[in-house]
Amino acid sequence: MKRFVYINDDSCRYSYCDNRISNTKYSLWNFLPKNLWEQFRRFMNQYFLLIACLQLWSRITPVSPATTWGPLIIIFIVSASKEAWDDYNRYLSDKKANERKIWLVKDGIHRQIKAQEIHVGDVVWLHENDEIPCDLVLIGTSDPQGICYVETAALDGETDLKTRIIPTISANLSVEQLGKVKGVVECPNPDNDIRRFDANMRLFLPIIDNEKCPLTINNTLLQSCYLRYTEWACGVAVYTGNETKSGMSRGAAEPKLTAADAIIDKLTIAIFMFQIVVVLVLGYFGNAWKYTQGLKQWYLMYPVEGEAPWYDFSIIPLRFELLCSIMIPISIKVTLDLAKGVYAKFIDWDEQMFDWETNTPAHSANTAISEDLGHVEYILSDKTGTLTENKMILKRCCISGTLYGNDNGDALNDVRLVNAISSNDPDVIKFLLVMALCNTVVPIKSNDDTVSYKAQSQDEEALVNAAANLNMMLISKDSSTAEICFNGSKFRYELLDILEFTSDRKRMSVVVKEGQTGKILLLSKGADEALLPLACPGQQIQKYLEAVEMYSQLGLRTLCLGWHDLKESEYKEWSKNFQEASCSLDNREFKIAEVCHSLERDLHILGFTAIEDCLQDGVPETIKLLRNAGINVWMLTGDKQNTAIQIGLLCNLITSEPNSQLLSISGKTEEDILRSLERALLIMKNTSETKDLAFVLDGWALEVILKHSKESFTRLAMLSKTAICCRMTPLQKAQLVAILKSAGYLTLAIGDGGNDVRMIQEANIGVGISGREGLQAARAADYSIGKFKFLKRLILIHGRYSYNRTAFISQYSFYKSLLICFIQILFAFLSGLSGTSLFNSISLMAYNVFYTSLPVMTIIFDKDISETTVMQYPQILLHSQAGRLLNPTTFCGWFGCSLYHALVIFFITICAYSDEKSEMQELSMVALSGCIWLQAFVVTMDTNSFTYPQILLIWGNFVAFYMINLILSAIPSLQLYTIMFHLCSQPSYWISMALTVAVGMGPVVAFRYFKNLYQPSAINILQQIEQSNGSIQTSGNLESARANLLNLLTGSRKNRDSYYHPLLSDSAESARTD
Amino acid sequence: MDPLEMQDDSKKSNKPKYSKFTQQELPACKPLLTPSIVISTFLLVGILFVPIGLASLSASQEIVELVHRYDTSCVPLADKVGFIQDTKTDKSCTRTLTVPKHMKSPIQIYYQIGDFYQNHRRYVKSRSDKQLRYKDAVHLTKDCEPEVYGADGAPIVPCGLVAWSLFNDTYTISVNKKAIEVNKKDIAWQSDKNKKFGSDVYPRNFQNGNLIGGAKLNESIPLSEHENLIVWMRTAALSTFRKLYGRIETDIMENDQLTVVIQNNYNTYSFGGSKALVLSTTSWIGGKNNFIGVAYLTVGGFCLFLALFFVVLYMIKPRTLGDPSFLSWNRCTLDYPN
Repeated sequence: MKRFVYINDDSCRYSYCDNRISNTKYSLWNFLPKNLWEQFRRFMNQYFLLIACLQLWSRITPVSPATTWGPLIIIFIVSASKEAWDDYNRYLSDKKANERKIWLVKDGIHRQIKAQEIHVGDVVWLHENDEIPCDLVLIGTSDPQGICYVETAALDGETDLKTRIIPTISANLSVEQLGKVKGVVECPNPDNDIRRFDANMRLFLPIIDNEKCPLTINNTLLQSCYLRYTEWACGVAVYTGNETKSGMSRGAAEPKLTAADAIIDKLTIAIFMFQIVVVLVLGYFGNAWKYTQGLKQWYLMYPVEGEAPWYDFSIIPLRFELLCSIMIPISIKVTLDLAKGVYAKFIDWDEQMFDWETNTPAHSANTAISEDLGHVEYILSDKTGTLTENKMILKRCCISGTLYGNDNGDALNDVRLVNAISSNDPDVIKFLLVMALCNTVVPIKSNDDTVSYKAQSQDEEALVNAAANLNMMLISKDSSTAEICFNGSKFRYELLDILEFTSDRKRMSVVVKEGQTGKILLLSKGADEALLPLACPGQQIQKYLEAVEMYSQLGLRTLCLGWHDLKESEYKEWSKNFQEASCSLDNREFKIAEVCHSLERDLHILGFTAIEDCLQDGVPETIKLLRNAGINVWMLTGDKQNTAIQIGLLCNLITSEPNSQLLSISGKTEEDILRSLERALLIMKNTSETKDLAFVLDGWALEVILKHSKESFTRLAMLSKTAICCRMTPLQKAQLVAILKSAGYLTLAIGDGGNDVRMIQEANIGVGISGREGLQAARAADYSIGKFKFLKRLILIHGRYSYNRTAFISQYSFYKSLLICFIQILFAFLSGLSGTSLFNSISLMAYNVFYTSLPVMTIIFDKDISETTVMQYPQILLHSQAGRLLNPTTFCGWFGCSLYHALVIFFITICAYSDEKSEMQELSMVALSGCIWLQAFVVTMDTNSFTYPQILLIWGNFVAFYMINLILSAIPSLQLYTIMFHLCSQPSYWISMALTVAVGMGPVVAFRYFKNLYQPSAINILQQIEQSNGSIQTSGNLESARANLLNLLTGSRKNRDSYYHPLLSDSAESARTD
Repeated sequence: MDPLEMQDDSKKSNKPKYSKFTQQELPACKPLLTPSIVISTFLLVGILFVPIGLASLSASQEIVELVHRYDTSCVPLADKVGFIQDTKTDKSCTRTLTVPKHMKSPIQIYYQIGDFYQNHRRYVKSRSDKQLRYKDAVHLTKDCEPEVYGADGAPIVPCGLVAWSLFNDTYTISVNKKAIEVNKKDIAWQSDKNKKFGSDVYPRNFQNGNLIGGAKLNESIPLSEHENLIVWMRTAALSTFRKLYGRIETDIMENDQLTVVIQNNYNTYSFGGSKALVLSTTSWIGGKNNFIGVAYLTVGGFCLFLALFFVVLYMIKPRTLGDPSFLSWNRCTLDYPN
């Protein structure tokens, strides 16, 4: 599939869309139907819609339809207006972008049009600092060399400048010619790959040249990037509007469902089933009553001739269905969404997660999954930039067998190296030359003649800086030449080709021609295992290997440097092949790699550089804390095994020998690897829990294992608390996440670079570090933080509190709905199973919307134990991990509680208000007041810490209940007229309320007290500790207990599935136990 | 210098603004269920509840209540339904009761009906509040099904099953053979008379259909004056209920003979319901109802018992609060049931 773009040709101008960008989800016309459709795709909304429609049938509705329609419409309007507001903002920003003025060149005339009017084939003229309006193929720049700089941060998050070159074919066009150019660009159909553009261009005018010129991503200016340090540039629009690379990469992220949400959904369905059963049973007995008793009650005047039997029979069950529909709380979704929004804001607001160095606050891009942070079981962390600073400094090097920097740990100040440079040691000079030239660094000269470097990779920047410090300074560079200043004299090098770095090749090379001698050199750098096999025979490899071993023992990153010189003829021939490969439209990457490989051989190994990357502040403590909290931490890195293990040791990920054992899964052949996997699995199973076991494997081993023995690896992964996986490709990182996820674990992936994006998106929770490698990871992530150390706060404080709060809110919502529903059901038995509603419509609606939803929101301020205590006893997180606060068992507790409370309220009401007092409206208000009293006490009981908003809301709501009902009692047209005045003046009303509270709460208090004292949960104990000594430092007992924590921790983790016995089917959980 | 970096330097700090609210650091009080708090709470509740219970119980006990069920004794055994449906027979029935204790005025006279579902959905909805209130709302009878139109096809006022089934037994009471007056005024709520039932709405077409439900209404008296109707229309929530019939405003002495002539008109026989006449004095607690008193005494007693039990338990098995050795991860793994 190809697209042919005719430059400046009006005839095909309209065959593609114009440049109107549209990020909006809705239009004015389809908003209502589309939004309704989206909202009613959810089960709960469908359910309520059905109920609301049934309520329109006056024969069966027990209360006014407003009780469901009201809240349903409110909920619908709230979510619809949120969507509409978001969409309107998107529309405004689109409009701003679309109406931007852009210069266009046509037949030599410059004119200004709106950005949305650009069509494919137009030549767009850009000035410095302009935002690029659509995807362009560069055909001219102000720079005589034909290069320009673009900032791509908006596209890929990388902050460095990228060089873009005009294709050779248009290199010689003058400014006038550019205005009249005609030609054709043959390019693939629009896709979202911002790293590839495999196309060709031919120009017809002004030069008739039928030669195809290959185009790569380096010849393009992509939409939403910025033109920098270039006076002007012009290009041909190839993709426009929503078909641009950036337009195609946009997409709505799949909404993530948290573990708590999943349980709530299950509970909802369980309640729904229960409701159906209740409805059927009541319906059956209702019909039975009607035929045995009801027909005898002359005052009911049942018609002698009934309607069709099926119709007759279904009326009563349908009435009960409507009566019981309140069992599923209509407000739960809104309440939870609101609470989740607040959790997310608390994260954004958290001052303690603000990073001063980079001036970044924590941010939660996904507001829906905060509870899952409290559930995390596996953390998969990137190493470079996440655990380490990603601030690279060359510390040591080994040049032709001589180790520099070993004495003082700083090669740049090693006297021997300085001497070697001043004595012009050829190997050392060449070594420095490779450091300075073999890279994609852009030197930027500032006004005072100092040179600074912009590089994509931190390693390259470190090398160029080190070379500059050692007198080999790269001063300027463009697409074809580089200038080096060595010891004060300048040297010119012609840059012939760049053999780019890819993660498969793990090396890069440049072909340069020495300006003075005309010699052609191939300079290479890369990973040791990528370069050493290419070395020409007869070199002392052994010595290098020892050096590499030593460096990685020290946790340093090593790079191997090499070179080899080329004959002119050899180069020419290769260059032709390279051209061809670069021009191919399909499989280009592979073909280029093949060609590159043919040149990169017989290398003279010059030596090794060793670059230090310091650990981030607070990393070891954070990892220790997270592991104490029962979270398994895995390190996934692209780095070498030894380096990774050293970093692992440094940051507490693994401990040294006697306490722990590292199981290496490796081997030369596939069989070896699989055998070592089985061995590791066996050791893992048979070792006592107290010993720390970790496994180490590399990318190749993982590939083999995933191909042959995925099950055993999954078993190993489930047993292993720690793992170090090195030499991982981005895809493999994502695969590891997927394996743990499929085993039912909740995973959190944290990383900082573009190579972590896939794993971040794959994991249940993705955390991005807004670090030096750009913002790519942070953009893809659900949460972004400035430093790794903030992760502990994110998980232990925000995650845990959010989980606790959601657990309460959701279960409480069910409790209060069940409470009022049970009372209705009990009343049905006294009203001839006819489906009379005890409560009037206003009370029912207000009960859900006001009386019970406000107090429950106060729980978003609740803290069961203080932040310091959580940090001191991170093991408490096991509670949330195991879902101890929200599971079928706890839900049964709430269910039982609501049943008990309903019985209490109902029987006290009908006993106290019997005989002459049994007036319908009064009785109903007494029962409703009972519900309000009890629920205020239930919320109070379950609140752990009272702040003034909480006290205000709980008891303010209580007062508001009386105020509202007293006001309603003053309106003569309502059924409620004077009822509350009557009640409030009766002593027996107040006495009944006190009785309800005492009977309802007494057993709960007694039970809680008994449990607190004699079977305390960990939370209870920590609360008691907090209370008993204010702060929690003292007591020798405590210290010794803390010493044991780490060893004894292990046991509780294994058994976490037995914390509760699933009542509802929970296949993932039960599958995990065996 | 790079203009980009210059921008960076001048950028304002992104640090979130500090407030106790945003940092979740609002001052909080954290009450715990410590032995002292719990035991004293139970003690307090117990101490408060027992006297209230005693007071309620004694108030309830002081009320003199005379309940006389007459539905079985006032009909011939053979054909109860036939008897009650026959409009021609004399249904008067005389009962003599002895007052067990001195009854202070005002003495409330209730009629009590059992197994009558005034709370049935079909029944409770069958009324038109608008029609009862406003003269012009005669035609607002939508909810009154199936008792809407009279024999002449015009709407019934008051329409609906509730009004139609108005109770129509009457009592004539004499003490020691001397007739006494039963005051039937002011038995309904004043608010109902003023705002719920119109003083310009007169009964029309009431009880003139084929089926006669209950009492008839004098068509020259406005609805707001038909207090027995107003009382009846306050539907009861339970299937056994009492409604105020009238009031005796003189005291009745102990051992006085009460003679009640009952016009036994109302049909509870077809559905097996009961009827009773109730005379009762009142107090601050309302009518005679031992429930509150008994419940308070039980709960109070139970609270005192629990408080005592907790004290004893605490003495036998003292527990240090906040002992870290009870933390699950400090104990051995056996503690978890498998």
